[in-house]
Amino acid sequence: MNSTTQQSGSQAVDASATVVGVESAVAGPAPIEVVNAMVAYDGRPVLRSVSFTSPKGKLVGIVGPNGAGKSTLLKAILGLVRLDSGTVRVFGQPLKRVRRRVAYVPQTEAVDWDFPVTAMDVVMMGSYAGLGLFGRPGTRQRAAAQLALEQVGMADFAKRHIRRLSGGQQQRVFLARALCQQADILLLDEPFAGVDAATEQAIFDLMDRLTAEGKTLIVVNHDLSVLDRFDLLMLLNQQIVAFGPTEQVATDENLRLTYGGRLSLLERADTTLQHAGPEMQ
Amino acid sequence: MMIETLALVEMDWSQWLVPFTERWWQETVCSALVGVACGVLGCFVVLRRMALIGDALSHAVLPGVVIAFMLTRDSGIVGLLLGALFAGLATAVLVNLVSRHSRTKEDSSIGIVFTSLFALGIVLISALPRGLHFDLKCFLFGDPLAVGTADLWMMAVIAPAVVLIVTLLYHPLKISSFDPVVAAAMGLPVVLLHYLLMGMLSATVVAGLKTTGVILVVAMVITPASAAYQLTNRFWVMLTLAGLFGALSAAIGMSVAFVTNAPTGPAMVLVAAGLFALAVLLSPSHGVVFDWVRRRRLNQHIQSEDVLKAVFRLTEVGTPCTVEAVASDASMGLARVRSMLDRLRGQGMMMPDPAQVGLTPQGEARAVEMIRSHRLWESYLVERAQLDVSSVHDAAERLEHAHGLADEVDEQLGHPRFDPQGKPIPPRRG
Repeated sequence: MNSTTQQSGSQAVDASATVVGVESAVAGPAPIEVVNAMVAYDGRPVLRSVSFTSPKGKLVGIVGPNGAGKSTLLKAILGLVRLDSGTVRVFGQPLKRVRRRVAYVPQTEAVDWDFPVTAMDVVMMGSYAGLGLFGRPGTRQRAAAQLALEQVGMADFAKRHIRRLSGGQQQRVFLARALCQQADILLLDEPFAGVDAATEQAIFDLMDRLTAEGKTLIVVNHDLSVLDRFDLLMLLNQQIVAFGPTEQVATDENLRLTYGGRLSLLERADTTLQHAGPEMQ
Repeated sequence: MMIETLALVEMDWSQWLVPFTERWWQETVCSALVGVACGVLGCFVVLRRMALIGDALSHAVLPGVVIAFMLTRDSGIVGLLLGALFAGLATAVLVNLVSRHSRTKEDSSIGIVFTSLFALGIVLISALPRGLHFDLKCFLFGDPLAVGTADLWMMAVIAPAVVLIVTLLYHPLKISSFDPVVAAAMGLPVVLLHYLLMGMLSATVVAGLKTTGVILVVAMVITPASAAYQLTNRFWVMLTLAGLFGALSAAIGMSVAFVTNAPTGPAMVLVAAGLFALAVLLSPSHGVVFDWVRRRRLNQHIQSEDVLKAVFRLTEVGTPCTVEAVASDASMGLARVRSMLDRLRGQGMMMPDPAQVGLTPQGEARAVEMIRSHRLWESYLVERAQLDVSSVHDAAERLEHAHGLADEVDEQLGHPRFDPQGKPIPPRRG
């Protein structure tokens, strides 16, 4: 941990030159800074010119309708999808240099639950990020994994095969894997899918403890009823409709704009251009 | 006596000694090494759902092998291996390209790529210059006679290399098979690892071609790994078992083939299939046999407790406890009741004298426990599950056998003293 803080400190000068909209006076570059990010799949835009800066130690929620590009935004930050234009900086640096400080909890629906691993095995995978190709997890990593399991209340299930866990327990195991990575930024994609209300509360409490430790959490969420648990909220529908403190952002007007159901004018223009090409001449 | 001796003399014993010749051990060791490598790599193929690509690789190496043959003008191992490696990797890359740049899904892309490459190989064979003969039949069906010392040496390098690489890269390979997206997010070279696996698979498959042939070699990749998959929930155990099964199938298959004069490749594949069938039957977690044993054990447990209760009831009302009376009270067959009584005697629940049916103090305590459990569950069903009083008896008959939970039910219901029918609930023991 010490080495990482030093690292971010040394980058402060470099970052202050490029950062556009960091309003907080915290020393050091912002954990995540996205400028003009554009992503398209097969020529169809998914993210249009998304720019935001996420301050340190905050719980940030991203909500928006299906196909709004929420997961794509997380993947773009992680470098898993290519940006067509724009930049992503993590602690003021290109992601490649600080990859270890970012942990990712993907949606669990694509997981192969029959894979021969126990809960403990999955959590231990979090330590691989810091081990490199030929490293092997040892006592220290095992202890970190054990601690992570305890933090999510799953220590009793360490030796259980992942198929034999309930939906909520599976989510907690995947969260524990991200904790085991001991990253400073956690990106979570729908961590409350298939989770009961009590577990959801427990996970939110854990997230509050993490942000109190100075970690930055970005959570893609579906459920609009828990918006007030987030410090900051991003309403996303291919572009950012609103971003800021939850109480200012979560207005009926903003939500209507985000979930309006109507295609935005930009999207309609794209469709016209793509499909009606010959007729326009 | 005379006739038997004659028959023995006339039998040709030499054929039984064939297995112990040099040929036998050379081919057995070689195919066992192929089996180990195939088994270990097969785990990744099975878990990444790439069975089709295993098949594809074996077919698609044909043009590579033919071109190598053309260039080197002989079937030297190194040339063939390089040709195969090249063709194998080309397949993996082409499949990736086709499925990425068209709407064709991966399985169809694999089908298109490997059949095209295989067809190209066959065309190339027909275009071979005069005097060069490529044995396509050997390629398709395998030919153990073609296995020579050079093959043995090659496998003696490839198999340990595969095991070593998989051991060294165990953790990255594990996470990139289980969760490639997160592995990529961690910065692990997921794509490179994929091609590394493909490369190792091509090399192994090409080495296995001579013994099993193109058509069956995929069996050596997926069958032992699938058998291992049935038996464990740990990844490293699966890898170990799969390697072991691969080696066993190859060694046993080869020996059986030698003794019975059957074709070697099919014999190995059949042994592997046999091991797989055994694994499906005997798997401790979802095997058919263990399932049956578990159900039978539960049934016996339930029946013996029912007999215990019947004896208790009869003793309570003062009816003489004969086997017949117990049978009618518990509505069970006589033979069944007798065997359950024996079982209970063995557990010290019944008086040891078989002529006299009676409970020991321990048996009596257990019976009271059962009745307590039954009445608590009835109360629970009425109060918490909103069942009708008249319909709870049968459900409670089943639930009472979960008497380990009775105390918890008691706790939750606030220690009731009577069940819904007004019968007293015995207090907790001790």
